[in-house]
Amino acid sequence: MKLNERSLVFYATCDSPADNAGFLYKRGERHTAYHRRWFVLKGNMLFYFEERESREPVGVIVLEGCTVELCDAAEGFAFAIRFGGAKSRTYVLAAESQAAMESWVKSLSRASFDYMRLVVRELEKQLEEMRWGPAGGCGGCRGAPTSWKPKPLGMEPSPERLPALPAVPPKENGCAVWNNAPGADPLPDTSGCDGHDGEGNPRPPPLPPRRRASSSDGSTGAAAAEGPSAFCRLHERYGQEVARLRQDWLERRRGPR
Amino acid sequence: VLKKRLVKLVVNFLFYFRTDEAEPIGALLLEHCRITKEEENVFSISFIEEPERKYCFECDSEEQCQEWIEALKRASYEFMRRSLIFYRNEIQKMTGKDPLEQYGISEEARFQLGTHKP
Repeated sequence: MKLNERSLVFYATCDSPADNAGFLYKRGERHTAYHRRWFVLKGNMLFYFEERESREPVGVIVLEGCTVELCDAAEGFAFAIRFGGAKSRTYVLAAESQAAMESWVKSLSRASFDYMRLVVRELEKQLEEMRWGPAGGCGGCRGAPTSWKPKPLGMEPSPERLPALPAVPPKENGCAVWNNAPGADPLPDTSGCDGHDGEGNPRPPPLPPRRRASSSDGSTGAAAAEGPSAFCRLHERYGQEVARLRQDWLERRRGPR
Repeated sequence: VLKKRLVKLVVNFLFYFRTDEAEPIGALLLEHCRITKEEENVFSISFIEEPERKYCFECDSEEQCQEWIEALKRASYEFMRRSLIFYRNEIQKMTGKDPLEQYGISEEARFQLGTHKP
């Protein structure tokens, strides 16, 4: 399968901070000898380099749909990244200390994009409820039964206690259609994925629109199964506020009447 | 030369398939990339380390094109991370409490404000 490897290498080696980095022993696929490699975790990608100074990773593990488990104590600070598919490999890694092992297991089990998305949705929901009261009709994605299951987080008894949000089924044409309500994107930088204000301050991104349940024609964006979009309401509210502020400003400009 | 492909956006990857096959023939990792509207019904994806190389996609309609552009712009892990940090901050400002505390993940490196720069 073709992959934009240069982009992966860039992601691995660019100076964006890693979510975790350090030496780990990695057990070989066929031979059970362990090899010491330099590991770098960025986002949902676990890169490994032959040496810390190597300019390119020798491999990458994409951390989606996996569980992270401790191994038997006999192996010494060992843990495994396990994938669900029948043909999938299990990666056995070993840290050099108890603390390192715990740190890695924690960061790896929370590294998936799915996990991040879950937390974002939860916070988004909290924010909406705080601003507009308990949301009516826009909680998550209803409707279409899904063949996806939320992936278990693995070793920990899940202190997260996140509600089990229903997973979003892929759409027929493969595009997860976002609810593009007008004015949904106040971000000035709309031209790229990695828009940032150049100073490292997270520019307030717009509330990510909700995914809609699959409709038969994925591309036309017909009315969502979940009812009126929370986003449209937000846009309304902000719009009214802005209009009021503008009115005030205009009146003040004209001076006292 | 345009080839018809089935395209799937899954987390921060864009997979593409020959329309009659189950396994993808390729994938694009969508980090540090730029999504650009090209001519009618067409958008392109280019990457920061090779900006002149564009992966072009022609859609069936302008509407479909816009939907894809919006979806792809929000597809990166880094975008999602920034959203999370932003919401966390907002909620903290409004309530005085860190919303990640109840999940026991306040100290996670990946959620810290100001840690992640382009």
